[in-house]
Amino acid sequence: MNRLTGKTESMEEWISELRARPEIMENVTFWHTQPAKPPRTVPMPGEIHPKLAGALAAKGIRELYTHQAAAFRGTAAGRNVVTVTPTASGKTLCYNLPVLQAILSDDSARALYLFPTKALAQDQVAELQEMANLMDVDIKTHTYDGDTPPTVRQVIRNAGHIVVTNPDMLHSAILPHHTKWVKLFENVKYIVIDELHAYRGVFGSHVANVIRRLKRICRFYGSNPQFLCASATIRNPKEHAERLIGEPTLLNDDNGAPAGEKHLVFYNPPVVNKQLGIRRSSVLESQRLAGLLLKDGIQTIVFARSRVRVEILLTYLQELVKRELGPKSIRGYRGGYLPKLRREIERGLRSGEIRGVVSTNALELGIDIGQLQACVLNGYPGSIASTWQQSGRAGRRHGSSITFLVASSNPLDQYLIQNPDYFLGRPPEEARIHPDNLLILLDHVKCAAYELPFEEGDAFGEEKLSDLLEFLAEEKVLHRVGSRWYWMEQGFPAHNISLRSAAQENFVIIDMTEGHRVLGEVDRFSAPTLIHEEAIYLHEGVQYQVEKLDYPEKKAYVREVNVDYFTDANLATELKVLHVDQERESGPLLRQYGEVMVTAKPTIFKKIRLRTHENIGSGPIHLPEEELHTSGYWFSFSEEETAKRSANDMQMALLGLANVLVHLAPLHLMCDPLDIRVVPQVKDVHNKRPTIYFYDRYPGGIGLSRRLYDLHDDILREAGHLIRGCGCQSGCPACVGPIEEVGLLGKDLALSLLESAGAPA
Amino acid sequence: MSGLKERLERLRQTARAAEASREAEAQAERDGDSGAAVAGTQPGEDRLHPGFRRLGVTEETNEAGSFLLRRIVYPLPYKHGRCGLEELFGVAPLLHPVACRQNGIRRGSRRVPADPGETPVPQAAGLLFLDTETTGLGVGAGNVPFMIGIGRYTDRAFVVEQTLIRHPGEERAMLTWLLTRFQGVTHLVTYNGRSFDWPVLANRFILNGWRRSGPEPGHLDFLHPARALWKNTLPTCRLGTVEEERLGIVRGEDVPGSLAPELYMRFLSDGNAEHLSGVYVHNEKDVLTLAALAVHFGHLLAGRLGDAVPVPDDAEERFRTGAWLEQHGRSEDAMRMYDLLAAEPEPAEDGSEIGWRLALAARYKRLGNLESALALWQQAAAFAESSRLPRIEAHLELAMYYEHKTKDYGLALRYANTALELTVRRLSAFRASSAAQEEKARLVRRIDRLKRKLDRRPVVPDTAGSEVEAIWGWRQNG
Repeated sequence: MNRLTGKTESMEEWISELRARPEIMENVTFWHTQPAKPPRTVPMPGEIHPKLAGALAAKGIRELYTHQAAAFRGTAAGRNVVTVTPTASGKTLCYNLPVLQAILSDDSARALYLFPTKALAQDQVAELQEMANLMDVDIKTHTYDGDTPPTVRQVIRNAGHIVVTNPDMLHSAILPHHTKWVKLFENVKYIVIDELHAYRGVFGSHVANVIRRLKRICRFYGSNPQFLCASATIRNPKEHAERLIGEPTLLNDDNGAPAGEKHLVFYNPPVVNKQLGIRRSSVLESQRLAGLLLKDGIQTIVFARSRVRVEILLTYLQELVKRELGPKSIRGYRGGYLPKLRREIERGLRSGEIRGVVSTNALELGIDIGQLQACVLNGYPGSIASTWQQSGRAGRRHGSSITFLVASSNPLDQYLIQNPDYFLGRPPEEARIHPDNLLILLDHVKCAAYELPFEEGDAFGEEKLSDLLEFLAEEKVLHRVGSRWYWMEQGFPAHNISLRSAAQENFVIIDMTEGHRVLGEVDRFSAPTLIHEEAIYLHEGVQYQVEKLDYPEKKAYVREVNVDYFTDANLATELKVLHVDQERESGPLLRQYGEVMVTAKPTIFKKIRLRTHENIGSGPIHLPEEELHTSGYWFSFSEEETAKRSANDMQMALLGLANVLVHLAPLHLMCDPLDIRVVPQVKDVHNKRPTIYFYDRYPGGIGLSRRLYDLHDDILREAGHLIRGCGCQSGCPACVGPIEEVGLLGKDLALSLLESAGAPA
Repeated sequence: MSGLKERLERLRQTARAAEASREAEAQAERDGDSGAAVAGTQPGEDRLHPGFRRLGVTEETNEAGSFLLRRIVYPLPYKHGRCGLEELFGVAPLLHPVACRQNGIRRGSRRVPADPGETPVPQAAGLLFLDTETTGLGVGAGNVPFMIGIGRYTDRAFVVEQTLIRHPGEERAMLTWLLTRFQGVTHLVTYNGRSFDWPVLANRFILNGWRRSGPEPGHLDFLHPARALWKNTLPTCRLGTVEEERLGIVRGEDVPGSLAPELYMRFLSDGNAEHLSGVYVHNEKDVLTLAALAVHFGHLLAGRLGDAVPVPDDAEERFRTGAWLEQHGRSEDAMRMYDLLAAEPEPAEDGSEIGWRLALAARYKRLGNLESALALWQQAAAFAESSRLPRIEAHLELAMYYEHKTKDYGLALRYANTALELTVRRLSAFRASSAAQEEKARLVRRIDRLKRKLDRRPVVPDTAGSEVEAIWGWRQNG
């Protein structure tokens, strides 16, 4: 301890002090230490261009890590490469090296870089420009995105060696105007796709189609580029890369970068009411741990699962340490903050001026904020991959770092915190995409036809292309002449197709406290529950009340307020089966997979007092119903099984089971918990039996329900484990739900239903 | 999993259900128009729809295939509106300064005029008048020009040729033919062709396997001069408005260009050439008007204002005409316009009276003629003060002038204060944009600075304490 400041001098010291504090340690269920790792390097390959080697030497790089060398060799051998190594392992060099080498030996060579966000693209350009300066070579690297001024665009199109952009821009601005990019497409040697793991689910399915279009355009101009990809740790990087780019790919995962010692601490908030199975709030416990770290001057990142949580934690923490550190030294970070503010926060983190940041998974991606020393996860991030990714934000190449995983009371968190082996013994999840989702595929066939006519024998995705083209011709979108299909519509298809369903149509939030100022934005799906009228919207820790939501115009007008509650909205959903694609009967269960129509309508919101989290009032929400046509999977219980129970018991049992399944399903699917929904129905309209539904929360489905249909046995088995393994007496929020919800017998009812369903024990 | 076709069919049904009403409406409209649609000609069939024959359309075939061509010869002299098309022979070379301005190189956001020595002098025979009708908007790769109208001067006639592709497969043949027509052309004459027609055509060449070699064609894009002259005095600068209001051309019944894509889609679905007759006529007239515009601008640059081209009635347009002539090297003609303006009687008080005064004053200021500028600013300031939505530029200019040129801080402060009052009046009528707030803040700073400067001056003690009196006191004594 430093006698003058009262702060700890090293992370090691802080950790050993923590271990001596019983009031913390009694809540630690598991402490995992990853030992420090020395670097493994190879000499700089001889064939590397002298200028490039010189520039690297100037940056202090005289050898390559093993994975960097492997990427270089693989690329030289003409392979597509996907590099999978942790945060801060020198991943960018894996693709920058071959790209710069190619441009140095042939000035006409071109490369296209794709990053999921604009911010990442800008970081990358700065790095490449630094290299070009060090080499004293005129390599033109530019970002090409919505912020690029029109006057510069023409220069980039004709003369940019490396064009750094995002999939959205590629989709809506570059590919439809490919004739302006002849130079690029004729000469593109490498296509770099970083943050590959970000392209999963709906977004990934869209991006896979954009890449199909990109390859089609490259073929038209006679180029056949190699793909150089990089990804955070996922279970199936090779498979994922191959599905995304549609080509065989070399896996490069021999990480040679050094790492400091890492501590991963599982922390379960203490039980405050044993009977009801209620634990202290994870928000309060996260705040406590982060507060300990921050007060000792340790630069800390806190991850929270929702935007609201981020804001609540931010408010608490700013209050807590406002005397030690100024309020500006603890910042929030999430989608919905405007880009300028985000850049400011990133800079502050790198310079160390900002000591703490509370973020959603927006900071999970490789945005350069330097390496912090500590990380607090408020709740399990939803997947093993995300957990590693987020905890990777803390950890330097030298010295120790620590990550706290603070469990919330939801069943998945409780399951993990009590079964650390499950977490550590398991490879991270798979990234899954479904590029042949009919709606997504059709959208991109349209865009592709706009870009170049289709010819008989062409392929695009796994479905039979000619059927799709015929369909579009009947819809008068395409016009068939002989063996070719031409785009023949007035519209510009890419304009109406957004790759990110969530970001599709943003609601703008306008602060009317003083004049009119755009505060931020909210995606369409979140709008009904986040910015309904009277909602409390939190932004940078400040409370605003929504005064008016202009739904058709997508604007919410808010005014700053100071109240002691936040709001939480309820959503009512209705489900209709349109078509059964597959079914299987096993014992008393009928399992079906098919198409469903879901209607959702926000109903009421609750006012919840800050800190105590008690319910202090509610109000109605008046907003139109939203319809969703998607794919679903459901299983129903036989009439005999139903007859064994009273309707009420059945209701409780189904509800309890659904509460468990809703948490387990995303775990097995590596999807965001918001991507899949679970709905129990005691008397289903479709087959009149008690049924539990799962559906994909995206039009047309993205293959999640389909996968659950296959995973049925695994998931029911896991559900049994979880319920039996829970320490509560008759049900708690960590398993089937609180007894207020599922009754005193909820736990037993759910278990007996599960057993009668033939779930393997 | 159910078959793809089945799923597509279900998809269609859901989409249909949602759009049922809209669809029904559109269908009703369609039925009303073309209830008797016959099965159309199959693509590639030799037989031409009788509608095409009535329009004088023939099939043209080359090594790349076939397409349709319509050719109309206008023997000269031919009067289109006020202009005789034959007059272009004389005035085309005078368009040279326009060509230089439009074909310079880009430096950042600015276009630097081309060197006159390196830019060909326009001659009537070297101009290709071009107007396309396309299937959509924008310059993306999927926007197809289905009809291309071109006009060229021969010794004795103005010849309009219009291509039509019966389906996209005929495009290559049409482009092959079009290339032959580019021979000997120095400039493309268009209306917004530099940013629309030409890029769209360039797309088509690239998509059909051509690569550009050699320089871009020169452009004479008349949208730009039209905007320069008429932006503030015509309701729009669309070609139809310009020709009617300024060239004396009356089109009568005309299919608006915006309907062309839809009419072409109808033709595609039933092969009935009648759908296109209006489009043919519209496109033909557009090409003729391009030639008439060339004559009009040529006359302007020939110094024939008041003779071949009437002098504008409106002060704003007089100023803009003067500025345009000056830009294109016709200073003397420009001066005539400015002198006319100076003789302008005190006009009615509407906002439009301020704009040209400010612009002309800016020009005088640039030339160092502050005296003339001052008079115009004072007029503009007087107008502004009586306007309900005042502009404050004149006051700012005057405040700057008095602060920096004559060091008359008192007068400068008076104008700055008035400007602030006007800003407040203006802001109360609008939602405050951040730019407006910023402007207001700048004004406040200026006022503060002026007050400080005033305080530093040795003010003759004055019993009256108020600021304004003190200022006037200094003015009288200093």
